[in-house]
Amino acid sequence: MAAWFFSSLTIAACLGIILYIFFKGAGQINAEFIFTSPNPTLNQDMSGGISTPIIGTILLTLIGIAIAFPWALSTAIYLSEYGGPQLIFQVFRMAIDVLAGVPTIVLAIFGLAVFSLPQFGFLSSMVQGVAGVHRAFGRSFLVAGITMAIMILPFVIRICEEAIKAVPNMYRESAMAMGASKWQSITTVILPAARNGIITGVILGMGRIIGDTAIVWLTLGGTIRMTGLQPWWQPAHWLSTLQNTGSTLTSYVYFASPAGEGNMPDKAFGAALVLVVMIIAINVFTDILGRSGQRIKGN
Amino acid sequence: MRGIREVEWAEADASAVLLSKPRVKLQTVRDLIGEKTVKLLTFASAIIIVFIFLFIIKTAGGVLLSNGYHFVTRSGFDQQVVRAYSATAENPSWYFGVWGLLIGTLGTTLGALLLALPMGIGTAIVISELAPPGIRYLLQMVVRLLASIPSVIYGLIGLMVVVPFIQSALISSAAQIEYINRFQLSGHSMLAGMLVLSIMIVPIIIALAVDAINAVPVRYKEAALALGLSHWRTIVRVTLPAARSGILAGVILAVGRAVGEAIALSMVCGGIGNIPKVQDGFVFFLTPVLTLASAIVNKSELMSIAPIQSALFGCGLVLLITSTVLSLCARLVELVVKRGEGIV
Repeated sequence: MAAWFFSSLTIAACLGIILYIFFKGAGQINAEFIFTSPNPTLNQDMSGGISTPIIGTILLTLIGIAIAFPWALSTAIYLSEYGGPQLIFQVFRMAIDVLAGVPTIVLAIFGLAVFSLPQFGFLSSMVQGVAGVHRAFGRSFLVAGITMAIMILPFVIRICEEAIKAVPNMYRESAMAMGASKWQSITTVILPAARNGIITGVILGMGRIIGDTAIVWLTLGGTIRMTGLQPWWQPAHWLSTLQNTGSTLTSYVYFASPAGEGNMPDKAFGAALVLVVMIIAINVFTDILGRSGQRIKGN
Repeated sequence: MRGIREVEWAEADASAVLLSKPRVKLQTVRDLIGEKTVKLLTFASAIIIVFIFLFIIKTAGGVLLSNGYHFVTRSGFDQQVVRAYSATAENPSWYFGVWGLLIGTLGTTLGALLLALPMGIGTAIVISELAPPGIRYLLQMVVRLLASIPSVIYGLIGLMVVVPFIQSALISSAAQIEYINRFQLSGHSMLAGMLVLSIMIVPIIIALAVDAINAVPVRYKEAALALGLSHWRTIVRVTLPAARSGILAGVILAVGRAVGEAIALSMVCGGIGNIPKVQDGFVFFLTPVLTLASAIVNKSELMSIAPIQSALFGCGLVLLITSTVLSLCARLVELVVKRGEGIV
């Protein structure tokens, strides 16, 4: 009986939270809310919508994945195909585990401090107009994207490594027996066979980037508009947009909540609903992917 | 290793016969580039991990050297940050202590764990042992969804629902007046942090406990049932003890998440590092606290000042050490499980 009691408590809390977001958020959602850019003002009617936060979330996710994916896949290939049981690889695997457990806020201050060094000024912008200060601003889409990539790196490495290891040894041996070199067998046989697992890793990594707030708040800054050259969407201004700050859905929710400067909770719930829908879409997609993978293995 | 070498040589011979010479050369070059790139990027990952650790230790070093072990035994972090902020550049203040933040972190984490443990294990039992398949699938969907909701949304709900509820239901004006000299009783409190955190870590505990319970061999249950135990007593006496290392792994992961949670707690806990006192009675739970992670969020705007940056990295270092220890503990549990099903 106790088990039923506690589980119904848990489920009630879960459903309560989800339904609460849906009911509070649904009233906000309309075309105007989605497609107009936010406007930092205390007047709720003029505060605009969430178009740039949505773009920011997508942009940041793309930058993070573009950096993390080749990096993580290479590391996974090396660890599973070239690395053996030697001590150095054991230590390396353990270090990856430890990095995976580091709170994102720690990586966030790390990113902010490192990319504030003047040498990295090209990633954001230099602080100007303050006498005696020679350092970079340390907040931009590029900086946040790189920090995000570091955050999901250990996570994606682990999933890719599992996927590559799950490829039966038979495949490697057959490829070798047909005269393929080791690298050829990796690129033409093993990676295609591990494709589903690798894609799952990438998508879960994207989910983590979309949902993270700490890194966004510290390394992308608390502004809710795109602060590069305006209008930010013109191709000539793309570099400037990337080098400057903006917002994502998570930082918009934080900004618009009573804890942030915006204090317009209704809009925060609207943005939260959009965020939850994105996350659900990702979950459903990985589910479908996992099932199709099982079916292939079943055959 | 030697076997593979020999195969490679044999391969090279075979392809030399089969393919025309320039193609073989191109292929070898391609292999070489591919393998070198992979090796280089792997090396880069290793370097970046080492660099993160060294950078954090080095930046935290300033505060650790000037405070020594007092950095973790001294309280009053908020006032120290203000003092460092208003100090002149020639005479910076390096005086910091995070005892209050440690207590805040410990309090919210333990409270959340105490709430989440029965909820998590209860739900896990229902999912893996009691529920019919249809309901089981539904429950697992809900739990997975709960696990993937971003922490800022939990913070938002905590701020809009939990904090006002605590303020209206548990705090009277008389109590507010009584404690006004020490802190403001506004609902932003350790209790709010515990409640929000517990919902955030429940899915982790459920996921690992379900796996652990499912991994218990069926013959254990069959033997218990054959001995005449009821279904419920079988679960309590046989299944749960057999699954305890898996549950422990879930608890370790959950603690890691709770200790590192920054945004949600900075929203609902109140931004001031008070130390809750047991002699206050129930107000103990209503004290506004600050955790290590949320202190970093709250004070990050002052990071351009070197001593404050160092102090925040000090907080980060404490978190880093905690998460490292937790990772090693998780490894250890895994090892014990692997070492023999006989032990568990």
